[in-house]
Amino acid sequence: MIRNSEFWGGLFWLAIGAFVIWVGRDLGLGRLQEPGPGFAFYWIGIAMCGLALAVLAPALVSRGPSLASLWTGTRWGKVLVVIALLLAYSVLFEAIGFIACTLALLLVLMWFVDPVDWWLAIIVAVLATFGVWAALTKWLKIQLPAGVLAGILG
Amino acid sequence: MDVIDGLGQGFAVALQPINLLYCFIGVFIGTLVGVLPGIGPVSAMSLLLPVTLSGTPESGIIMMAGIYYGSMYGGSTTSILVNIPGEAASVVTCIDGHEMAKQGRAGPALGIAALGSFAAGTFAIVALMLVAPALARVAIAFGPPEYFSLMVLGLTILSFLSQGSMAKSLLMATFGIVLGLVGIDQITAQARMTFDRLELLDGIGLVPIVMGLFGVAEILFNLEQELRRDVMQARIGSLWPSLADWTASKWAVLRGTVLGFFLGILPGGGAVIASFASYALEKKISATPERFGKGAIEGVAGPEAANNAAAGGAFIPLMTLGIPPNVVMALLLGAFIIHGLQPGPLMMTQRPDLFWGIVASMYIGNAMLLVLNMPMIGMWVQVLKLPYRILFPLILMFCIVGVFASGNAAFDVFVMVVFGVLGYLMRKFGYEPAPLVLAFVLGPMLENNLRKSLILSQGDFTVFLERPISAVCLLLAAVALLAPLFPALARRRSRFATEQT
Repeated sequence: MIRNSEFWGGLFWLAIGAFVIWVGRDLGLGRLQEPGPGFAFYWIGIAMCGLALAVLAPALVSRGPSLASLWTGTRWGKVLVVIALLLAYSVLFEAIGFIACTLALLLVLMWFVDPVDWWLAIIVAVLATFGVWAALTKWLKIQLPAGVLAGILG
Repeated sequence: MDVIDGLGQGFAVALQPINLLYCFIGVFIGTLVGVLPGIGPVSAMSLLLPVTLSGTPESGIIMMAGIYYGSMYGGSTTSILVNIPGEAASVVTCIDGHEMAKQGRAGPALGIAALGSFAAGTFAIVALMLVAPALARVAIAFGPPEYFSLMVLGLTILSFLSQGSMAKSLLMATFGIVLGLVGIDQITAQARMTFDRLELLDGIGLVPIVMGLFGVAEILFNLEQELRRDVMQARIGSLWPSLADWTASKWAVLRGTVLGFFLGILPGGGAVIASFASYALEKKISATPERFGKGAIEGVAGPEAANNAAAGGAFIPLMTLGIPPNVVMALLLGAFIIHGLQPGPLMMTQRPDLFWGIVASMYIGNAMLLVLNMPMIGMWVQVLKLPYRILFPLILMFCIVGVFASGNAAFDVFVMVVFGVLGYLMRKFGYEPAPLVLAFVLGPMLENNLRKSLILSQGDFTVFLERPISAVCLLLAAVALLAPLFPALARRRSRFATEQT
């Protein structure tokens, strides 16, 4: 049971459902004649808990795919690296700026995550980054964070 | 205004050079994303949602619509040549399309797919033009209980037709509603689930959620395994089907068109279901069902016509009721809302230029697609040879740029990454993202109509059962919900889900 992926999935959504019920009660249910801001949350939370139990209950009595089996034979390390890179990108995006962040992201992805020839990676990364920068700022008039290159880019 | 006047006004809008350009960009990008495995119409439309802000509403919507029906055309190319569906609605085309290609008949397979798609797409536009005004007149009589029940029906049917566990699909739909309700309450102006973040007061953006769940999650999932593509090296040959091919395909195209159109209109329906239903129908009524799976041209013609007709039919509930029947239409609704427009029964009278402009642009777009697909198949094959290891970093970059441009907030990029990880885990654990996105878009409308109904009826729930349309919708939703308890229906549903997988 404890290794069953369905069990953990159901448990996760049960916790989310319980949280939504709590939010609904906290916001105020109102009356049936005048439902409050938490009315929908409360009842949807209850529905979520019921559905999560419908997922969880069979996992308690029958064997299902284990958590580990979901990643067996996959290149999960690459997935973890990409998630870490994207999280770092989203945190540093405003401070460092679009060009520096995107160049670094594309080069790391094409050099280390799923490698292509180093020179091809540089060409693609530079063309894509500066091409998108120019298209967005000049054509669509969308301001992208300049970050560390603010002095150069104006 | 009658249909002819309306269409005349529509062509005046659609033939403006800027709208022609947007239409071309839409169908071109649509074909491209249809051709490329790993990015579908939902990702492409959410990516380009911010671009629509720079032009007029009609230009933006024309482009978005073009991406949708363009992807239906383009998806057949990869299915036939590579045996990898470019998007979900072309999965079934792989079965006989790729077999035909292996037998040296890739040309007729691609040709009949393009011509069948054109015929079905054109039929769907004519039907949309004729049905929509009549339905809009009926829809004016809809009140909050009808809208609430119709949305419940749409979400239930989508969950019913989703792959795998229905409980999981419904769970995703309920979670989608919760996400849709984050932000300021429309009635009391109270902040809900904002965790004291100013960025959440206006709610979570549609673009970061969709880009995360479909774009980023798809990339993470694809990265797990080596994508192997075996593009046909043999000559494609003449694309024009022979007389025998035409004879074998004509009724399949017609049946696929009619079936697809009606399945497209239904809430929760769409191109994927239409293509599977058409394939099943053709196989069932064929005098030689054993040819299916071994290169039967009807197995390509029917589903390709069906998915294009469904793409056209899906516009009807959105344009006439303001309710999107599937995720793609939910995105289109998002584009309308971004421009301060509300599609629905009044749109045809208040903004006839917009409604008829979109309809007319679909005629033009369909003709453009035929031109794009027939002679340019060689170019699309070259695009297919672009390695995924170059493609995926670029798609990630476009996701980031698209999300940032939609709200000009770095916070949205973070939200996209979070939903990307969630979407990846959902796929691993067998949870469908489509009900979540549709519920996210419908959530605020659903809650609003529920509360309005209860306020108007003084808290009496029977208001939903006293009104005939509402009662029928709820009854159908109840049947779909209880279906797993009836062995015959449950077997039929699980067989359908297995075929889809």
